Amino acid sequence: MKLLSSYIKEMKIAARGFYFYIEIFMAVLLLVILLVAVKEESVSKDYEFVFHDMDRAIEDSFYQDDIEEGHMFIVDDTVFDVKAASFELTDRSTGEVKAYDFEAGTVTARTIEAYDEKTGKFDKTLYMMDSEDDMLWMAYTEKKVGARLSIDEKFGIENITVYYDYIMQGFETERFTNVLYVLHTETPDTVSAMIDTQSVRSLEEVDTLNNRENMVPLMVVFMGSLMGFFIVMAYIFLDKSEGVIKALAVTPSSVWKYLMSKAMVIMTTVLVSSSVITIPVMGLQPNYALFYLYLIITTFTFAALGLLIASFFDTIEKSFGILYFTMIALMIPAFSYFIPSFDPVWLRYFPTYPMLQGFKEIIMSGTDVGYVLTYCGIFAVAGVVLFAFANYRFKKTLTV
Amino acid sequence: MISVKNLSHSYDNDGKLAVNNISFEIEKGETFGFLGPSGAGKSTTQGILTGLLKQQSGEVSVGGYDTMKVQNERFNKIGVSFEQSNVYSKLTAKENLEFYAKLFDVPTVDPMKLIDIVGLNGKENDRAGTFSKGMKHRLTFARSMINRPEIWFLDEPTTGLDPTIAARIKEIIKAKAVKGTTSFLTTHNMYIADELCDRVAFIIDGEIKLIDSPRNLKLQYGQKLVEIEYANGGNLVKETLKTIDDKDRARIGEITEKYDIQTMHTKEATLEEIFIQVTGRGLK
Repeated sequence: MKLLSSYIKEMKIAARGFYFYIEIFMAVLLLVILLVAVKEESVSKDYEFVFHDMDRAIEDSFYQDDIEEGHMFIVDDTVFDVKAASFELTDRSTGEVKAYDFEAGTVTARTIEAYDEKTGKFDKTLYMMDSEDDMLWMAYTEKKVGARLSIDEKFGIENITVYYDYIMQGFETERFTNVLYVLHTETPDTVSAMIDTQSVRSLEEVDTLNNRENMVPLMVVFMGSLMGFFIVMAYIFLDKSEGVIKALAVTPSSVWKYLMSKAMVIMTTVLVSSSVITIPVMGLQPNYALFYLYLIITTFTFAALGLLIASFFDTIEKSFGILYFTMIALMIPAFSYFIPSFDPVWLRYFPTYPMLQGFKEIIMSGTDVGYVLTYCGIFAVAGVVLFAFANYRFKKTLTV
Repeated sequence: MISVKNLSHSYDNDGKLAVNNISFEIEKGETFGFLGPSGAGKSTTQGILTGLLKQQSGEVSVGGYDTMKVQNERFNKIGVSFEQSNVYSKLTAKENLEFYAKLFDVPTVDPMKLIDIVGLNGKENDRAGTFSKGMKHRLTFARSMINRPEIWFLDEPTTGLDPTIAARIKEIIKAKAVKGTTSFLTTHNMYIADELCDRVAFIIDGEIKLIDSPRNLKLQYGQKLVEIEYANGGNLVKETLKTIDDKDRARIGEITEKYDIQTMHTKEATLEEIFIQVTGRGLK
C-alpha cells in the first residue's frame, strides 16, 4: 500500500515535470524519423567508371547481349561537374609512379543501367568514359574503383583476350583485391567450381529485418537504458535539492519503497515510449509478452544503476563525470550492431550489447527465446544486486 | 519518553566528536529545549534521536524504542518538523499531507484540519512550489503533526517566520504540550525556548553544560535590574541599576526624588545572557 502510494505520488510529480514529456516527445520524434526518413530498404546503388581502350564497335559488342536480353539499358549521358584533383598513380606490377593534375571541369559519360530481375531494381550503373584520364579523374574524386579494359586481337577477332586494369584507392582489403584478381585470371569453370565449394547460407532462408525495423532495438535500448538511467538520477537529485528524502526517512515507510517507486515510474515511462516506437513499426510481429518482460527487467536494472550512482553525489552537477562516462560506454555496442564485422569479445561484456541482440531476437519472427530468457535472468540478478546496494547506500548516506 | 546515556558521535574518524558523551532524560509531556549556537551538536543529537543518523555509541531510547535497532514502526510515534522546509514542490499542500498520511500505520489527522491549523486555508490546492518560504515552513510544520506524534521534534520552528505566524506556531506547540505531547525543541532562539520550554539544555562543542528550567536558571544566574530613563538639565539620561545592591538601591531613590523620570522598567537576565555567562560563548 505504501509502495502504491509512493508510486502514485511519483507519477503525479513526473506528470507535472518535464522529464516525462521529454521521454514521450523523444519517442514520438524518433517514430516520425523512422517512418519518414528511414526507408524500409536501403538505396545502395553501385556504380563504376570504365574506360574501354578499344574500338567503339568492339566495346558495344561487350554489352550487346545484355542489352538485347533486357539486363542492361542505355540511358541519357551523364554530365559530371568534377572538382580539381592532383594525385599519383602507382602501377603495382612495375612500381612506376605517374602524377596527374586536373583543373575543375565537366566530364560526360555514356551511361548504362544494369537491371536485376530478382529484385526488380536497377542495381548498378556503368559510366563509360571517353578517355583513361577521365576515368582516373572520376575514380579519384568519387573514391570508387575504376577499370580500363583493353584487348589483344593477335589471335583474331573471334579469339580476343580481354585485359582488366583496376584503379584502386589503396584502402581496399587484400581479400577484395584477390577477388578481382581471381575473377579475371581463372577460367569461368574454375571460378564456378570454387563458388560451388563455398558453404553459403542463403539470406532468404533466415528471418531478417528491414532498415526501419533494424533501428527499433537500438531506439528501445537507448530510450530504456540511457534515458531511464539519466532520468532516475534527475528525479533523485530533484528530491535531494528539496530535502524530501529526509522527511521520508522519518516515516515508517522503508527507503527501498521510495527507491522502487522511482524505478517503477521509469519503467512506466519506458513502457509507454518503447510502445510508441515499436508497435507502429513492428505491428503484431514481435512476441510482445517477451518484449515487455525483457524491457521491464532491463529498465529496472539500469534504473537501479542510476539510483546507485545518485547515492554517491549531492547534486547532478557533481555526477556529470560518471554520468557522461557511463552513457558513452553504454552506447559503444551500437557500433557493433551496425557494423557486424566489428564485434570484439570484450564488447559483449557491455550490458547494452545483449540488450540490443535480445530485442532484435524478440522482434524477429524466429525468436531465440532461450537467449532472451537467459539474459532476462542475468539482468534481473544484476538489477536486484544493484538495487540492494543502492538501498544500502541511501540508508547510510542520509544526513542531518 | 526519551532517554540518552553517554551518547557520542563523530562524522570523521579523526577523533573529533560532534557530540561528546551527553546524557539527559525527557519526561512524557515535557517540552525540552536544546539550545546552542550553530555547530554545537544540536542537529546531530536530533538526527540520532530521529534515526536520520546512525547511532555510534551510548544508549538512546525514544518512546521505548532502542535507536540502535532498526524498527520502522517507531516512526509512528514521532513527528519531525525540519528547519529547512522539505515538501514536494510539484504537489499541492493537500496532496503533500495526504501522501505522508498514507505512510503511517496509525490513525492520522485530516489534512484539511492541519491546513486550517497552520493558516493555509484557501491554499490547499496550490502547489507548494508556488508558496512563500513562510508558507512552506508552515506546511512542513503541519506535516509533522499528521500522525498525532507522541514525541515531536521541532528544529527551529519559528525561524524566518513573521511575528504573527510565529505566535500561531508557538500557540500550537503550547496546546500540544497541554495534551501531553513530548517535544524536543532545537533552537538558538532563547526567547522561544524561554517561552515554550519546561527545561532547557545548553550544549556547546558537543557537550551539555547544564540542564534546568528557565525559571531556575534565572534565579540562579540572573540579577534583578531596573532600567531608568530621566531628564537631567535638558539631557535624557539612562541608568541600569541592581535591585539587590544597596548602593544602587539608594541611587534609585535619589533619581526618583531629584529628576523627572521618563521611563522605568524592571529587567530580568535573559536566557541568552545566562548562556553567555555559563558557556562564555554567544549563540550566533
